[in-house]
Amino acid sequence: MSELAIEMKGIWKVYPDGTVALRGVDFTVRKGEIHGLLGENGAGKTTLMRILYGEIKPSKGTIRVFGKKVSFRGPWDAIREGIGMVYQHFSLVPSFTVLENLFLSLSTLEKVTMSEVRRRAEKIIETVGLKVPLDAKVEDLAVGVQQRVEILKTLMRNAKILILDEPTSVLTPVEVEELFKTLRKLKDLGITVVFISHKLKEIKRITDRVTVLRKGKVVGVAETKDVTEVDLARMMVGREVVFELKKREAKPGEVVLLVKDLWVKDDRGLDAVKGISFELRRGEILGIAGVQGNGQRELAEALAGLRPVVKGRVILEGEDITNLPPYLIYRKGLSYIPDSRSVGLILELNVISNSILTRLKSFLGRSGRILWGKAREFTSSVIKKFNVITESLTTPMKYLSGGNQQKVMVGREVIVRPKVIIASEPTHGLDVSATEYIRRLLINLRDEGVAILLISTDLDEILQLSDRIAVIYEGKIMAVGKPEEFTLEKLGLLMGGVKVD
Amino acid sequence: MIKSLIRGWRFSEYLTVAIEVSGSIAAGVGIAALMLYLLGFDPGRGMALLLGGGLTDPDYLLSRATFIMMTGLAFSIPLLAGLFNIGGEGQMYLGGLVSLLTAIYTGNLLLALLAGGIAGFALGLLIASLRVCRGVNEVITAIMLNWTLYYITIYLITNTFYDPLAPHESIKVPPQARFGIMMLGGFKLHVIFPIALILIGLSYYILYHTRLGFEIRASGLSPKAAKYAGLNPKKAMLYSMGLGGFFAGLGGAFNVLGFTYYIDTLLTTMFGMGFDGIGVALMGRNHPIGIVFSSIFFSMLILGGQSMQMELNAPKEVADALSGIIIIALALPQAYRMVISYIRTKRMIG
Amino acid sequence: MNGLIESALDLIFLAFTSMVPLLLGATGEIITEKSGVVNIGIEGIFLLSALTSTIVDYFTGGNILASIAIGVLTGTLIGLLHGLISTYLRGDQIVAGVGVNVFAYGMAVIALVTIWGTFGNSPTVPKIPKIKVGEYVVSPIFILSILIAVGAWYFLYRTGLGLRLRSCGEDPRAAEAMGVKVLRVRLLATVLGASLAGLDGAYLAIDWVGQFTKEISAGRGFIALANVAFSNWNPLTASAGAFIFGFFDALAIHLSIVSLQPALAYLFKIIPYVGTLAVVSVFFKRTRIPSALGKPYIKE
Repeated sequence: MSELAIEMKGIWKVYPDGTVALRGVDFTVRKGEIHGLLGENGAGKTTLMRILYGEIKPSKGTIRVFGKKVSFRGPWDAIREGIGMVYQHFSLVPSFTVLENLFLSLSTLEKVTMSEVRRRAEKIIETVGLKVPLDAKVEDLAVGVQQRVEILKTLMRNAKILILDEPTSVLTPVEVEELFKTLRKLKDLGITVVFISHKLKEIKRITDRVTVLRKGKVVGVAETKDVTEVDLARMMVGREVVFELKKREAKPGEVVLLVKDLWVKDDRGLDAVKGISFELRRGEILGIAGVQGNGQRELAEALAGLRPVVKGRVILEGEDITNLPPYLIYRKGLSYIPDSRSVGLILELNVISNSILTRLKSFLGRSGRILWGKAREFTSSVIKKFNVITESLTTPMKYLSGGNQQKVMVGREVIVRPKVIIASEPTHGLDVSATEYIRRLLINLRDEGVAILLISTDLDEILQLSDRIAVIYEGKIMAVGKPEEFTLEKLGLLMGGVKVD
Repeated sequence: MIKSLIRGWRFSEYLTVAIEVSGSIAAGVGIAALMLYLLGFDPGRGMALLLGGGLTDPDYLLSRATFIMMTGLAFSIPLLAGLFNIGGEGQMYLGGLVSLLTAIYTGNLLLALLAGGIAGFALGLLIASLRVCRGVNEVITAIMLNWTLYYITIYLITNTFYDPLAPHESIKVPPQARFGIMMLGGFKLHVIFPIALILIGLSYYILYHTRLGFEIRASGLSPKAAKYAGLNPKKAMLYSMGLGGFFAGLGGAFNVLGFTYYIDTLLTTMFGMGFDGIGVALMGRNHPIGIVFSSIFFSMLILGGQSMQMELNAPKEVADALSGIIIIALALPQAYRMVISYIRTKRMIG
Repeated sequence: MNGLIESALDLIFLAFTSMVPLLLGATGEIITEKSGVVNIGIEGIFLLSALTSTIVDYFTGGNILASIAIGVLTGTLIGLLHGLISTYLRGDQIVAGVGVNVFAYGMAVIALVTIWGTFGNSPTVPKIPKIKVGEYVVSPIFILSILIAVGAWYFLYRTGLGLRLRSCGEDPRAAEAMGVKVLRVRLLATVLGASLAGLDGAYLAIDWVGQFTKEISAGRGFIALANVAFSNWNPLTASAGAFIFGFFDALAIHLSIVSLQPALAYLFKIIPYVGTLAVVSVFFKRTRIPSALGKPYIKE
């Protein structure tokens, strides 16, 4: 059936360590349509597309492109069949010009001259209406323009199918409009587009059909005009959320952390946090829900003193701690547990060194001498309290399992009873029992009066643990309220950028 | 102390280190033997002399080891922070020169020693600041400074500070400003060796028992995590290079104040030791204790080379070539690691 | 007045001679570094290829072509070794380079001793015939080095192949994604750069000095490295840089001949090094290092 551009049947992907990313996924895309692929983080969207693009091999299943059965050994096979992929992280050499990058990518496929490349590029620019300055350096271009370069690159390689992975996550609203115009033009030219996203509004606006993935399975395929955003949200997020953890009613005390109109920039210099305000009380867990990349990390880092606050104030127990150095903020009682172990731990060092990493000052004797005895004691209590399994205290961190590493990273902050804990993705990458453990730990801390700011892309976690939930989207808080005030659809909508009241 | 060293390491780490070190030595020895054979010498006798010749005079052996122990520290400490200090040569020359002059003008041993160290420290700091503040690659800076100091030192010794009775040599260090020789149960030993051991202990202490050492090591391993922990990687780079220079300067001071008691116009006693220090540090896996052993080994090679030359007339530079090969071989840690993991995976699958 | 112009011309032509090693070495290293590999062992390559070309020149009684060829070949082989270590074996490039230098110093003396039985200089060997320019002579290699520099510039910055090479040094990940075989390109670039260094060493021995001594290089490899950075990785600018640094060198030689105090010779010798350091310190910040320089490219 040559009406179908893509036909993936029964795709399974199981990784060597046992993780199942895809469970028997069927995915079909009609020729010339814009097809949306919707799902939360970890639902399997990117994995599925990487299989289509030839970067990974499926464990089971068949793939047909324009009716022809294919088995890709690598992206170059996929490119030859007319599939082009535009990732979130672009494959462009920043210091080269656009033309040079285009030349680079074409020169592998065929012998061309620069002028030939220019000619072809200009033709496509005209036909599609893509505004791309050929002689500008990539690094000088706005992200939206860089993305257009990537699209141009795939078109120049005669792509008939264009896969875009979360294309709007790096764009400003205006650039999003431009992108949509381009996509519609491509559709008119007969090019098939797969649009991967978690943003419901955009799926609704630009796609013809949409496939929803949840936890590696297809939960629904529909004509976009036949479904509402609410339907999509329910499909994307809805499942039986079992409140396994019994917890007492929270008894929040006085406000311990006050955040006023906070503005923070990301690594690219763009605004990541745009005027966030909230308050956090003693003995409560405030969960920040949202899809990754909406400003959570920048928010946490700013509060911990690791990222400059451009505007706004952070007030801890009445004291202004905005932009203070990290170790002072620690001392004043705000602990930050980062979302990545490569930032929070130094794996080459041993368990003791990592345990005292964030509060080295309290383990120093006179003239800067490290009191290893005291450090050892501290580490033992962390190990004991949190059941960390390690051969010895002097074992290098890299030999501990991920779960145990996480326990140390969390445990060392928690054991000193800070007033506020910012926990970012605390159970990321952990197995079930470690996850259980850490979640219970956070609840116990809350009961003891610690204020916890929980940042997580795992909705289960947010719903289980939070006393209040705030949804973050593109650097702003969409809504704040108690978990009971949010239905699952509402959460899904808010996380996808749709304002509801 | 040894126990705490060993405790944190697992068997596979040991295995890796053992393979790397012995592999490099084997490669070096093999090629050296081949060279001797090709040059027409008896490889068996040659290698025996090369490896064993140094043992005939333990005092000389250990004293020689002292200098490259210091330059070994000079390379390894900055390396922990991620910098390459190839300037050990120049730092050594300057340290030797400054300590000589201080000894001559003040007659105070301790002062002279410290002055040498501080001179080296300043030089190291200079290299690091050019790197941190202006982005100048420290390898280039170091080499330029090495040659500059080489010529400046020679110039000063030849023109200003020469001994009128022996114009090829500088003024001698006054007797009260000399490190002497002690008797150890019938064996004579230059005092500088045990003092150097104490300094090794000091460097170990600084690196593993002080905040600064922690900052240096953490910044070298993961600047991101170091910043998260509130440490300052830039400061770590500056101090590590300063420390490195300090020890190299002390090495020069030891040479002048504790062994030769003068500097000659060709700098023969100090020439090349900065580079030897690099090999020593690499072989000692960047650990102060390792450096002690590898410096003795290298010293053995150098003396062995000399005795090989005396008895067989083979050029002693074979020893230099040998160390060069060992260094090249030590540049391949990944290769060894690949071999080991290949063996490991083969065992798991097959 | 005449005397001043004469001295100036003297210096300039002397600089032409001394700039060749700094230009050839720098051009080669520019190619290597633009692909992402740093080879600080070129000093050692200078030494070893000077050695081998002297040997051939001596034993063939003046076969210049063969001598040059062997010199280049020496560079090629060492480049192959360093290249393999830096690419497929994912080794530490700086350490490998240091190792090459140490090995070369040792080999130099060994060779001197075993072949000619001396620790100082080898006997003089026939030199390359020079081209006469008025009263002065210029070596054909000088012309060649300029041509190579221009050719290298054109290759790197005006051809598609050069673009692909440069992409390996800027963003190897992106380059690989666009189909460039990064490891292979880096290896070839290292071999090419080292071969030029080999030519350089041959020049030092059988063109300029006329004999082999263990001090024949005296850090020129490192000055060439400084030239690479100073020139912002541009062979054309490197020519100018080589002239400047060569001028310092020439100045040092000239002053020690001309001045009345022979002892000051040593002080003059530091001019090239201090000069290089000063120039580099001032200009380094404005240059743009290839982003992926020195980091082994590990394919995920």
